[in-house]
Amino acid sequence: MIICPNCKHQESDGAIFCGECGMQLVQYEQAQTQTQKFTSGQSEQTEAPVRSYPPTQQSSTWVTLHMLESGQILPVSDRSEFTMGRISDNQPIMPDVDLSPYRAFDHGVSRLHAVIRRNSQNPTIMDLGSSNGTYINGARIAPNIEQPIRHGDILALGKLKMQIIMS
Amino acid sequence: MPKKVDFYTLLGLLRSATKEEIRRAYLKSVKRLHPDSNVAPGETELFLDVQQAYQVLSDPSRKSAYDAALSPEEQPKFVLNQNILLSRNQITRTAESQLVYALLEFSPSEEEKAKTKSAPLNICLALDCSTSMKGEKMDTVKQTAIQLIRKLKPQDIFSIVAFNDKAEVLIPATRQSGSQKLETRIRLLQPSGGTEIFQGLQAAYEETRRYANPKTINHIILLTDGRTYGDEPQCYELASEAAERGIGISGLGIGSEWNDIFLDQVASTTGGVSMLVSQPKDIERLLNEKFTNLSNTFAESLSLIFETSENTNINYAFRLQPETNPILIQNPLQLGAVLRDGTFSVMLEFVVQPPEEDAETVTLLQGQIQIIAANLEMPPIPIPIHMVISVTEKVNPEPPPASLVQALSKLTLYRLQEKARSEVSQGNYDKATEHLQRMATHLLAQGEKSLAKTILMEMQNLEQEKKLSPDGVKAIKYGTRALLLPGERIR
Repeated sequence: MIICPNCKHQESDGAIFCGECGMQLVQYEQAQTQTQKFTSGQSEQTEAPVRSYPPTQQSSTWVTLHMLESGQILPVSDRSEFTMGRISDNQPIMPDVDLSPYRAFDHGVSRLHAVIRRNSQNPTIMDLGSSNGTYINGARIAPNIEQPIRHGDILALGKLKMQIIMS
Repeated sequence: MPKKVDFYTLLGLLRSATKEEIRRAYLKSVKRLHPDSNVAPGETELFLDVQQAYQVLSDPSRKSAYDAALSPEEQPKFVLNQNILLSRNQITRTAESQLVYALLEFSPSEEEKAKTKSAPLNICLALDCSTSMKGEKMDTVKQTAIQLIRKLKPQDIFSIVAFNDKAEVLIPATRQSGSQKLETRIRLLQPSGGTEIFQGLQAAYEETRRYANPKTINHIILLTDGRTYGDEPQCYELASEAAERGIGISGLGIGSEWNDIFLDQVASTTGGVSMLVSQPKDIERLLNEKFTNLSNTFAESLSLIFETSENTNINYAFRLQPETNPILIQNPLQLGAVLRDGTFSVMLEFVVQPPEEDAETVTLLQGQIQIIAANLEMPPIPIPIHMVISVTEKVNPEPPPASLVQALSKLTLYRLQEKARSEVSQGNYDKATEHLQRMATHLLAQGEKSLAKTILMEMQNLEQEKKLSPDGVKAIKYGTRALLLPGERIR
């Protein structure tokens, strides 16, 4: 049984996409395909290199985002600075964290919305001039000015709410 | 005359063919080659060879003598190149059912492609002439029909059936030579009355059948803008009869009132396609497209005769290209036509129940693909398909092939749409809204803005009126279907 990380729907083993929300459940690598050719009833199997997924790096995560609506925990890798937004067409600069699986568009998240930084142990957030603003515990912050954040703070990018969890 | 081939190749058989298969292949060849119906040079000799082949192969003692003398089996020559991708090549030993996807791809082999002739078309247009067709729709249909007649080659067979509550054979099936009289007859067509599709389909079937033989490409194109009431089962029955005789049916639905589920089932029973004509001006483009595809056929029908093991079944089947369309789950599966240039690909979803305790492998599917190809001189040898996966204790760490995942990502959206629709019909509006919402999100992420907008509008409809608009439903269905086609896209 696979449980969809996005909508918690249960899918049978072997499912590649969630039938409820359409989220991709299995990763794949572009370069590596396995091909089975069947000729005259016998299956000849080309040796597919056995390789497992790279383990997701969770060890040195210093901050995770708890998405309040879906209840999902979004670990952010060990980088000390990351931008948040949503990926869409013809976009020259991609955000480091794409929030589109969390209905970012409907919640008014800008393409490049805000950035979270770790400056010598004091994490901060800075709004990048988003259309609908960034809020810390309900208070809108001024754009392009770094504001400190603490464990347990509720952030809102537009209307998309998430809780900061420090480790 | 090519060099002598062995009897099996001559009849289009695998050497493992059963007695019944030999008999059927013989009857087919005879129909194709009978001197009464043939003028092509060399075919009478071929006919005699076929007679001889059957005499030998139908007699068990002579067959075994022939088999013994036969040179050891070389690789049988298939007319199609094949590539089968599985989402996984093992399943886990668990107590739950599991899913396996198979992407089947075929393309004409270069050697055969060079040899293809251009077989005569045997096409019937079944035109809905009910009152609702009045105006621009009817005018465009008439114009396009006349255009098609002018495009026909001298050997092509063409007929037109006009129907409302009754069917009238406007142009009987015959070799047409672009005569003015036919065009006038089309121009004089006056829409009136209701829509009874069975009437039209039956008359079209009769017209097509008259000239249908293994050397023609037989197809009925149904154009309608309305619903038929009560005669659906008869239509389905007729469609399976047509499929058996190698006659394909495709449907063009005009506007928003026609029944797409009905038309889909009729078309997919024969391996055909259903299309949405949202505006009258699209009639010309789509009808021409269908006509071009028919003229460009390599093999008009692939059908998969199959067996699955007891704990396996095919849950979903879909033709990705050409002519994106769901495939009706039946045995044989009518997969549709292969075009001369371009790949043919089909996605199958298998549900595998827990394997037996000591089983080491599970057979997903075993069978053969039978090919009907009027364009080829020799009947093609069926392609055996055998999909077996192993049973393991551990979870398979291998990622599925990228091309399979990509195809499936688009198909998932199509299936979400199906889901939302059935939920609406069951009155489960919240769930349907949720599914539509998710589709819209995915489409926006992919840059499909106009389709996403249509979905958002339908969500509003659903909220306010507890139903979807017939326009919107079809736009979403055929819109997500169009996403499955690689390359150019109609938005």
